[in-house]
Amino acid sequence: MAISMVSLLGIKVSHTYRFFKALKEVSLALQQGECYALFGPNGAGKTTLMKIFATLLRPTCGTVAIMGKDSVQDREAARQALYFIGHGSFLYDDLTTLENIKFTIGLRGGLPTLGEMKIALDRVGIGPYTSQKIRTLSAGMQKRLSLAKAILAKPTLLLLDEPYASLDEKGIDMMNEAIFDFLKKGSSVLISSHDRVKTAEVAHRAGILHNKGLKEIPVTELVHALF
Amino acid sequence: MLFFNVIKWILWKDILSEIRSRESISSLFFFALNTLFIFSFSFSVDRDVTFALMPGLIWVAFGFTSILGLGKSFLSEVHNDCLSYLQIAPVPKGAIYLGKFFGNLLLMLAVEIILYPLFMIFFNLDILAKLPSLLIISMLATVGLSALGTLFSVLTVQIRAREVMFPLLLLPLSVPVFIGAVESTQGALSGDPFSAYRHWIELLFIFDMVMTITSFWVFEFILDY
Repeated sequence: MAISMVSLLGIKVSHTYRFFKALKEVSLALQQGECYALFGPNGAGKTTLMKIFATLLRPTCGTVAIMGKDSVQDREAARQALYFIGHGSFLYDDLTTLENIKFTIGLRGGLPTLGEMKIALDRVGIGPYTSQKIRTLSAGMQKRLSLAKAILAKPTLLLLDEPYASLDEKGIDMMNEAIFDFLKKGSSVLISSHDRVKTAEVAHRAGILHNKGLKEIPVTELVHALF
Repeated sequence: MLFFNVIKWILWKDILSEIRSRESISSLFFFALNTLFIFSFSFSVDRDVTFALMPGLIWVAFGFTSILGLGKSFLSEVHNDCLSYLQIAPVPKGAIYLGKFFGNLLLMLAVEIILYPLFMIFFNLDILAKLPSLLIISMLATVGLSALGTLFSVLTVQIRAREVMFPLLLLPLSVPVFIGAVESTQGALSGDPFSAYRHWIELLFIFDMVMTITSFWVFEFILDY
C-alpha cells in the first residue's frame, strides 16, 4: 500500500487574506513517488496553496500534514521533508553559485562535497559557472541553480511553483528529467504551472483550482480541458 | 550542533556579502566621518567645552550610525525572497537571530574602532590610556543596540515606511543604552575610578542580557507567520 506523503486534510482547508477568501474547501493527498499538477487561471489560489504546503502560510482552517507531521503544530519536522522552488530564487546576489549552494544546504545541516556540488551544477547545465556571482546570472540560470539546490537537498516533497518560468526549451526538458529522477527516488512532487503540455509529461494526477476549490481531472484530458 | 551551525552559516554569509559589496561599512563610515567633521567645526573654539561634550558627541555619532546600519540588516534578505527561505528552513529561528545579531555587532564594532582614532585626531584628544575602558563601554552599548536593532529590522523590513518606523521603534527603547553609554563614557574620559561609573556599566550589562534574551525569544514569532 502506498504511503501518504502529503495530505491536505479536512473538508475545508481554506485561506483568507483579511476579507478576501483565496481558497475554500480544498482537499488533496499525495502518495510517495507521485506527481500532482495544479492548474488554474491567474488569481485562482495556486500560489496560496503552494505557500500553505511550503509552511509559508497557515491555513485559516483545516490541516496540512507532510509525512504525517502537522505543518502548523510540528512545522520544523514538516519543513525537514520539503523543498520549495517559488517565484523568488532564494539566492544571494553577492555570493557565487557554489557559495549559495553551500549556504542553503549547510543551513539544513548537510554539507555536500565539492564534487557533489559540481555534479549537481553540471546536471542542470550551469557547471561552468561555479564561481560566478548570482547578480551576473540570468533568470533562467538562477532557476537552474535553484533546481541544483533542490537536487542536493534530497527532499521527500518537492514543491515547484511555476517551474518552467524563465527556462529555455533545453531547460524545460532538463526540469522534467529532474522531476522524473525525484519521482524515481521516491519523492513526491507538487507542481503549479500554466504549461499544460510540459506538465502533462510528468504529472500522474492533475487538478484545477476553480471557484476557490479544487476539481480533479484526468491528466489525459489536461491539454484540452477548459478553465 | 545544528543551532551553532546555523549561527555560523548566517554569519559567514553576511560577512562574505559585506566584504564583496562593502555596502554597509562604507556608508556607515562616511556618515560617521561626516558627523565628526561637522562636530569638529562646531566645537573647535573651547577645548574644555569640547571635552565636556565629548561623551554626547561620541554617542550621537555612534547612535545615528547604528540606526543607519541596523535598519538595513534584513534588506539583503528581502531581495530574491531570501527571507521566505529563512522562514521555511528547518532550523531554530533563534539561531538565525543570533547569526544576524553577531553580524551586526561585528559591523558596528568595526566602524566604532575606526572612529575612535578619528575622534582623537579631529578633537585633538589624548585618550589613548582610556581607550581600553572606552572600548569595553562601546562593546556593551553596541550589544544592546544590535540586539534591539536586529529585532526591529526584521519587524520593519517588509513594511513600506520602514525608514520611518525603524528609528521610531528603536530610539525610545534604546534610551537606557544611550544614558548608560554617555554616563560611563563621561566617567572613563574624566579619569574617574571605575567604582564611580560602575552602576552605569551594570545598567548596560543588564540591558544587554534582557534585550538579547527577549529578542531571541520573540524573533521566531516575528519571522514565522
